[in-house]
Amino acid sequence: MRLCLSCFSLALCLGASLLAIAAEEPFRPEQGKFPPLDKSVAYRGELVFVDHATRRGSLRVEFKSEFFRSPPTPFAMLPYGMVRYHGAPADLRDIPIGTIMNIRAFLPPDPKNSSVVTTPNHWYPLPLENHAILIEDEPSLCLREGKTWKLKEVDLQNNQGIVLATRDSQDAAAAKGPEEKLTIDSTTRFWRGRENLSLADLVAEGTWPASGKKSLGGQSVLLGLIWKPCPDGIFVRYHISDVWLDDKATQRAIQSQTEVHKSLIRSRWMPAFVDKVEYGKFGRATATVTLFGGMDPSLYADFKKDGYTGAINGAENTLKHAGGSYGPAHMASQGTILEVIKTPGVAPMGSSGIQVRFETDLIIEGIRPGRVVRIRPSDWPKVYIPREEFLGEGAKIEDRFPRPDIFPVYR
Amino acid sequence: MAYRSSFLILCSSLMLVCVFAANEAPGTKNQELASVVFRPEAGKFPDLEKAHTYQGELVFVDHANRRGSIRVRAGSDVLYRNAPHPFAMLPYGVVRYHGATADLRDIPLGTMLHVSAFLPPDPKISAVPIVQNPSVEHPAENHVLLLEDEASYCLRKSKVWKLKEVELQKNHGMVIATLEPKDGGDGTAAEQKMTIDTATRIWRGRECLGIADLIAEGTWTAAGKKSLGGQAVRLGLTWLPAGTWENRVENQFHITDIWLEDTALQRSAQQQTGVHQALIRTRWMAAWVDAVEYGKFGRATVTATLFGDYDATLFADLAAGSKMMMNGAENTLKHAGGAYGPAHMAAKGSILEVTRVPGVAPMGSSGVQVRFETDLIIEGIRPGRVVHVRPSSWTNVAVPREEYLGDGSKLEDRFPSPAIFPKY
Repeated sequence: MRLCLSCFSLALCLGASLLAIAAEEPFRPEQGKFPPLDKSVAYRGELVFVDHATRRGSLRVEFKSEFFRSPPTPFAMLPYGMVRYHGAPADLRDIPIGTIMNIRAFLPPDPKNSSVVTTPNHWYPLPLENHAILIEDEPSLCLREGKTWKLKEVDLQNNQGIVLATRDSQDAAAAKGPEEKLTIDSTTRFWRGRENLSLADLVAEGTWPASGKKSLGGQSVLLGLIWKPCPDGIFVRYHISDVWLDDKATQRAIQSQTEVHKSLIRSRWMPAFVDKVEYGKFGRATATVTLFGGMDPSLYADFKKDGYTGAINGAENTLKHAGGSYGPAHMASQGTILEVIKTPGVAPMGSSGIQVRFETDLIIEGIRPGRVVRIRPSDWPKVYIPREEFLGEGAKIEDRFPRPDIFPVYR
Repeated sequence: MAYRSSFLILCSSLMLVCVFAANEAPGTKNQELASVVFRPEAGKFPDLEKAHTYQGELVFVDHANRRGSIRVRAGSDVLYRNAPHPFAMLPYGVVRYHGATADLRDIPLGTMLHVSAFLPPDPKISAVPIVQNPSVEHPAENHVLLLEDEASYCLRKSKVWKLKEVELQKNHGMVIATLEPKDGGDGTAAEQKMTIDTATRIWRGRECLGIADLIAEGTWTAAGKKSLGGQAVRLGLTWLPAGTWENRVENQFHITDIWLEDTALQRSAQQQTGVHQALIRTRWMAAWVDAVEYGKFGRATVTATLFGDYDATLFADLAAGSKMMMNGAENTLKHAGGAYGPAHMAAKGSILEVTRVPGVAPMGSSGVQVRFETDLIIEGIRPGRVVHVRPSSWTNVAVPREEYLGDGSKLEDRFPSPAIFPKY
């Protein structure tokens, strides 16, 4: 009896300990599920390196100390992770090196297969959350969060100077942002309507002074930011690469980037998660997939039900096509779009909230629940894709699971 | 007897193959001159005319190590299958973008580039893989003297694109154009078809237009063909996938930018010049050490030739009698020390003389020599080595972590391994 009681007490203690451990277990995204954005960690930094074919790169993460010493910290995009540039959907290849990016990231979903180091070893407190669900430049962040930069004052000497500005919410009731000092020079591009102006143009017009201070009266603009090494022991002071002076100029930048991305997705296909597969006979199957989010609405509109044909191909978490040496359509499952379903409620970040039911008479490997696929409606252009964007024969494990050792280790 | 002859011929062929194998495969250009395999030497600027030239799409960039990958244009419709081909910039290698000096970090991925390259000067320490079996799409000449975009190439060669015709459908279409000398042209240039779409930027004066703007103005038609009458422009090019086995198209480029007039391209060049000037003022000018005359107690006089293609205003900051610093650097142009800023460890001193070498400087050289005296010469400043030079009037700043070596204890920092490039 006493032995039984002891065993029961031990089991109770063990159970309580396991519960406590489970409660402390950090959050990691799960394959096939879109994680809640509020569980992500937000930080920002300078884009230093890009390996766009495997959707990874490095950021110099912002610290309020010796920023220049902050080593490039690798990050990987989650398969459904979104890139935004100039307020529009983008690919990592579209972002110039040096751009200040805002990131929302999680711990690696599967550390064993991470394409970037999972425990950066450096005396800087580098974030462990390096799998990004969202990476966006400054104008994209401002447009998404309803913020603008208010220019207070400019002080110029010899075609360079300092701008005082605050990043404020468009909601008048919201608290004002802190005043920031940003540098500006003759390379800063000013976008006004369809004009691309320089500092010299604004000085010639009399809008800005040739030298000395001038109040800018809280002029509302969007800014593109980069970082340059600063003198006088100032470690973090951003440089203005672009100023969008009006809404028309912003809309033109958005439209241009949107078109670039639409063209990319139409040739590389829409990525999606497989929700389920109903198998029929002789290779026939119906796959239900959820399209990834953040694309231009016109791309989703190309998926039409009732007899529209299309193709689904297997893909990796890097979004590389499983096959493609004769074009991805060569090996993909061909079939018909049965249904396009808009799931109710607000779609989580990474998801479009659009499900497609697709029937094929020859299901291929790679189209399994939780896996990433690429899908195209048949009226998108049928083209080859570049060599680095498909796996080849898939015989090398490295092709499917890129190793993190391309990233230099800085101590 | 016939078998014996065949055997002898086979043996002779194998011996010839072995001779080449022992010395690494001759380069693509050097196949023509198999007996003279040219490699650049440390301390000498090679002749641009001896470079192998090719064109390709920029696919990958590791700007901190001045290397990357290009998808080389070769054959007719196989560009998509050509695996990215690694390249490294020579220390004095020049990058040009929008008609101005640039850094690799300034060039957007996807840009079509013209390459003038050589065999690796020292294959043992090459930062990119050595090409064992060169081909048109994988040339052995992967150490680059000059890398330039289409606009820069056309400016250097005094060429223009002449637009013959545009055909638009739903805001995308095809342009037919010829690449011809700016002045004249005998009308024999082959016509090229290039795609265009709503993302194409059209630069006119200080305007950045789209196709829709030209249609709204009535300059271009919304749908159908229109003759453009041979309008002379400069183009920015990229490559987009097009065609399949069933529907083949040749290596067809896509127009990212059109500069309708010289003023527009000058504005782009001016902007890029400013970007590069700002970079060099913080990273210093690169140079080669020509000679070191040692004095007593660490004193020395160093003669160095500055690398080429910096904006003239940067050279103007070096004046006899003024102060200057010189820091050791690697072939990647990384500073030897920089944890407290490169000025922390650099040799400091005075400029004794600034001279311009007579004649036209070879590509990679500025033709400007500086004599500098320091009372504390540091390691790394030796004849044939690369150094960085900074006039004291430039603002003293720290450089980012990936652009200096650290304590130099890791060999990989000085000689980056080519292992980062995937094998296809």
